[in-house]
Amino acid sequence: MVAANAPARAAGIETGLRLADAKATLPYILSEEIDRAADLKALTALAMWMVRFSPLAAFDGEDGLMLETTGCDHLFGSEAAMAAELSRRLAQAGYTHQIAVAGTPGAAHALARGAGLGEHPILPSGEERGGLAHLPMAALRLSPETLTLLRRFGLTRIGQLYDIDRQALTRRFRSREAAHAVCLRLDQALGRRAEPFAPLRPAPEYAERLPCPEPLTSPEGVRDGLRQLTEKLCACLSSSGLGAQGFAFRAFHSDGGMASVSVNAARPVHAPEHLLRLFREKLDGIDPGFGIDLLLLEAARTAPMETGSHPLSGDLAGSDFDSVAIAALSDRISARLGEGAVTLTARQARHPPYKAERQMAYMAQVPDKAPQPLTGPRPVRMLARPEQVSVMAQVPDGPPLQFVWRRRLRRVVRADGPERIAPEWWTHLPQAAEEAGNLPRTRDYYRIEDNEGRRYWVFREGLYDDGRGALPDWFMQGLFA
Amino acid sequence: MNFETLLSRGLIRPAKASPVAGAGFPFGLGASGLHELAEAAYGDRAAMTGFLLAAMQPAARGAWLWVQQGAIGRDSGYVPEAALSASPARLRLTVRARNTREALWATEEAIVSGAASMVVAEVEDADFTATRRLALASGRYGVPVALLLPYSCSGPTAASARWRISPRPSAPNRYDPHAPGYPRWRAVLERCRTAPSVAGQAFDLEWNDETLSLGVARGLAAGPPAPHAAPGAPGPRRKAG
Repeated sequence: MVAANAPARAAGIETGLRLADAKATLPYILSEEIDRAADLKALTALAMWMVRFSPLAAFDGEDGLMLETTGCDHLFGSEAAMAAELSRRLAQAGYTHQIAVAGTPGAAHALARGAGLGEHPILPSGEERGGLAHLPMAALRLSPETLTLLRRFGLTRIGQLYDIDRQALTRRFRSREAAHAVCLRLDQALGRRAEPFAPLRPAPEYAERLPCPEPLTSPEGVRDGLRQLTEKLCACLSSSGLGAQGFAFRAFHSDGGMASVSVNAARPVHAPEHLLRLFREKLDGIDPGFGIDLLLLEAARTAPMETGSHPLSGDLAGSDFDSVAIAALSDRISARLGEGAVTLTARQARHPPYKAERQMAYMAQVPDKAPQPLTGPRPVRMLARPEQVSVMAQVPDGPPLQFVWRRRLRRVVRADGPERIAPEWWTHLPQAAEEAGNLPRTRDYYRIEDNEGRRYWVFREGLYDDGRGALPDWFMQGLFA
Repeated sequence: MNFETLLSRGLIRPAKASPVAGAGFPFGLGASGLHELAEAAYGDRAAMTGFLLAAMQPAARGAWLWVQQGAIGRDSGYVPEAALSASPARLRLTVRARNTREALWATEEAIVSGAASMVVAEVEDADFTATRRLALASGRYGVPVALLLPYSCSGPTAASARWRISPRPSAPNRYDPHAPGYPRWRAVLERCRTAPSVAGQAFDLEWNDETLSLGVARGLAAGPPAPHAAPGAPGPRRKAG
């Protein structure tokens, strides 16, 4: 038994019991195989939903969530009001839960496990020692073996550990690690040692929230709320001289669901109109359903805005284009066509033609217009991946005379080449001699023209006697103008 | 002697006012308005791209937006940055669209934004309504647009001109009679609003990729080009790799 609901617990069925024993106690008990993966998924979704209470949420074991609520409780009035609100929401969504608020993660963990249903113990910071004394040792996040050993010593309550000499305790454990774990967990619960908090998502740098006393049920209401939030957030950003590149808009349904859309900007922005325009394409993804009672807008990846004056004339401009306007255009296109729809082609100093350029998402980079090393003629169109051609007639170490590409026979009238491009041997070092057959092969590129006047760039992969596999194959790499 | 007297005596002449846009070849391609280029047959897209880059008037310095419908990119490949090195594009962004609707939307968005100095759109189909929208936007915002269309496109259009491009056997190579020379194309001006009298004319063009000049091809080879007397000294050898 891993978990049992309230009626089962009332009948004396506890976790750790064997199923056969449980069935002996309650013959009509319903049981189900535990699905850890599904649990984790549900817990992750719940953690994401917790963002309405605190942006920082972390897993606490396999069955708990930890929220960093510093600075968040005033939004609800007080810590007690916040816990009550959280409890109400969770109960509404059908979750059995135990909530506790404390100054350290360890204390909160222990209190929450010790708390009964419906009560939300709140331990003020600094009073951990007294507050935890009566709690069972199991609340201290220790391994089962350690707990067994402590029970044999007669230590069952956390408070019993306070006055024990640490060295004497350590000596009684078989391993130092187990003894140290006890001290560490105790110190962490009491706040004597810091405990790192690893949130599932980094906290947004800026966020605005809009609680709706009357749940929003129309798309117009959502749009209006987004406009208010955007204006507030942008005012906040611009007062700090910042812009942000990532924005997430979350709408919390009153029945416990959450919908979220995000937009990205190629360069930091803080213009409300631009943001609203980006969000407009995606707002259809938010269905008001039975009502939305909280809207949240977060900004991430903030950076100082580059504010500059416009040049007096085009001759004085640093570049030939307005990079701000281009970035805004790119944002709008990406918002509608999908992330990564707008790409910049960057050159790379590499010899293989298919590696000489790389497509990357446009993030307001400045293209590198440095002079490129001289190469042979390059085609006006490159195929994304070379297509194999079957060569009908060929002479060794020469261009093909006839070949079939895309089901058509083409007769070569003129040819130029080869331009021999060796593979980057330093990227494929032979691990063993038998792997020599898998090594990249030298390519001989030919510029050829067929009897219809079309010009191609074909290559022969490999030489006839390079000892790297079978006979060489021919491929189509690109098309000349 | 002031400026007016110099002018009246004919001693100096003001710089000739720019001729009416689109009066002569290439009839405003790349300078203003919407221009269509179409393949003559399947597989002529490379020739069409080469013609566009060679023939357009280099007025559009700045940022280019190259909108490409995904299927065309998969079929005919992409235009590498190296092919644009002679063009006035300082920044070229590629937009990949899933379908014609998205591609046309992105094209119009780019025109209206005023951020791009030239927009090239490769779409599978563009009907009269679509071209009318693009032509109006292009005229209003002064952004030249080139629409690259497949061979199957032949319906009515609102573009300023429609070219149909096919490759021709290349010019004889001075240094190697067996090698392809400068590329040659046949460009048929199917429609032209700015100069209706030349509509229907065919231009046989030759692109000199060393001097970057486009000229009328002379002595167009009908069959395989006649071997040319090679000059005394062997030509410069191209470095491999």
